[in-house]
Amino acid sequence: MLKYLAKRGITYVVMIFLTTSAGYFLAVSSLKPALLEQERIPRPTPEQVANSMRLKGLDPDLSPWERYVDWLTGIVTRWDWGRSPNGAYINAEFGDRVWISTRLFLASIILTLVIGVALGVYSAARQYKFQDRAITSYSYLAYIVPAPIAYFLVQLGAISINESVGDRIFFVTGISTPGVAPGWPQFIDLLAHYVVPTVAITLVGWGAYQIAQRQYLLDNVNADFVRTARAKGLSRNQAIARHALRVSFIPVAQSIAFTIPAIFAGGFFAEKIFAWPGVGSWSIDAISLQDVNAATATLAYGSVIFAIGAILADFATTLVDPRVRVQ
Amino acid sequence: MTNLNAVDPAAVAQDAHLDNADVVIGKNTIIFRRFLRNKTAVAGLAIFLALTVFSFIGGFFTQWDKETIDPFNIGMPPSADHYLGTSQAGIDLYAMTVEGTRISILIGLVVGLVSVLIAAVYGCSMAYFGGKVDKVMLFILEALIMMPALLVVAVATSGGGAGLKRDLPSWLLLIIVLLVFSWMGTARLIRSMSMSLMQRDFVKAAQYMGVPPRRIVWRHLVPNIGSLLILDITRGVTAAILAEVAFSFIGIGIKVPDVSLGVLIGGATSQVQTFPWMFWVPLTVMFLLTGSLAMMNDGLRDAFDPSSSSIGKAKKARVRKITAEKKTA
Repeated sequence: MLKYLAKRGITYVVMIFLTTSAGYFLAVSSLKPALLEQERIPRPTPEQVANSMRLKGLDPDLSPWERYVDWLTGIVTRWDWGRSPNGAYINAEFGDRVWISTRLFLASIILTLVIGVALGVYSAARQYKFQDRAITSYSYLAYIVPAPIAYFLVQLGAISINESVGDRIFFVTGISTPGVAPGWPQFIDLLAHYVVPTVAITLVGWGAYQIAQRQYLLDNVNADFVRTARAKGLSRNQAIARHALRVSFIPVAQSIAFTIPAIFAGGFFAEKIFAWPGVGSWSIDAISLQDVNAATATLAYGSVIFAIGAILADFATTLVDPRVRVQ
Repeated sequence: MTNLNAVDPAAVAQDAHLDNADVVIGKNTIIFRRFLRNKTAVAGLAIFLALTVFSFIGGFFTQWDKETIDPFNIGMPPSADHYLGTSQAGIDLYAMTVEGTRISILIGLVVGLVSVLIAAVYGCSMAYFGGKVDKVMLFILEALIMMPALLVVAVATSGGGAGLKRDLPSWLLLIIVLLVFSWMGTARLIRSMSMSLMQRDFVKAAQYMGVPPRRIVWRHLVPNIGSLLILDITRGVTAAILAEVAFSFIGIGIKVPDVSLGVLIGGATSQVQTFPWMFWVPLTVMFLLTGSLAMMNDGLRDAFDPSSSSIGKAKKARVRKITAEKKTA
């Protein structure tokens, strides 16, 4: 199993390298930070702009290939991801933001998965009953709302709760209040900022898992091996729990690989709307500021997140699917 | 030569069918009837068609268009003059909604249809050739999945690009980028489905009987994944509309002066308290659009399901009549 996972890991490293390189070429050929610099007041001469860019390793006169080689040597030899047009170092900027993004998404991803799979099993066991219909219709509703709009609606809801109570219970934007005493008050403040984004991401996210888990479980409930288990004296619920559940989780586990980047993509929206200065909102700002290195770094980060999701999915599959162990 | 009095087995079978009230109906007819029987799905289809018609002829019912500014009615709520009110700049919301709906439907349909086509060709070739070709193609596919589409959309639609990018309207650019990033999931699914079909007995039997490969693909593979393809078209249309709205909402994707539902919704969020109609009207249209597609998708899934227990009224009535007759007999 370890060998199998290691082999997958190497494949993903090659893929990350290729996607990041492709992303760099795309960014370097379409983002022109020098044009933005010239709009400054007082207007710098083109020579000044070119000079300041050259000092930051963003020489616009070099060909994309030369810049790529420079950039790649920097990463390989010094783990230096370059600088922004405003002079900031990508490595330092990145460190802070990754932590903010991870803090925002870790809880949401786990909640989404657990709630989605649990409700999928619950509704499949009560097919066509009221609970099943209510849960499944909610999931379809979540499916037809674009993530940013759902986040915005949750935000509106939190604001209206705040207004009706007449006190600020939920913070709908930002990550913390400046100047709060450390320790207990800071922790409470953190939680108050955490609740609304986490609830919003989770509410939008679990629908897809619920529908998938319900569907796969229903496909297996009437399978031969479940009937055999029942014939051997297990109750319906026991037979489902011991035999059908495991089989039906295999495809769901595989879909995790594709939903983690989806949640991450939803993260762009969540960070933008809730004003969390994480990787997602940074990447969008980077593009509007024509920042080649920052855009590429976030793209690489997205690929890494996908690879982690895919390896986790492989790992989950090897745990629940006995057929994979042979390989 | 032929014994006219011999019992024709076919006729006997037919009699038995008639006795059991079995009627042989073509596959397409069954699917079509099942779809029509599903009230939700038909309602979804009706709403979707109505919206499409609205987006094309809706503009004839108003004297305003999406560019004309009405200086006497700035930021007015819905009235007889402006059916759905006006924006902060004094532009008629009804005219903008008609235009936005058309662009959103256009993006959805083109991306949904073409991406499924790409996925079918790509997925089937992977399964058909197998081996090295399959490995390389799978690698390309997974590498594309790894690229965060949103960043590429943002780079591609951001300003300051080459000549081609400036000349293309932003909706066309968005269609191209969405197409590049929308077919991979379906292609993967089609690959695994056609691979398992290649192992099935009826394909093997056909191979032993010497049926040429192209015929096997057409007669055995395509009909078996056809339902999946059609379902993926409706799903792809929904996904494309949602992606357009989401991207335009945060300001990448469709750019002003082009109008889409996402642009309208996104532009109105900052003034949702002061100009609520600017936010809720396009949002409702978007819900109707994606909702009707989801309703259709559900009905189609049921209609294509070979193990569907949905039976028609005619058959139900017949079954009832026969059981009643049996009871009285």
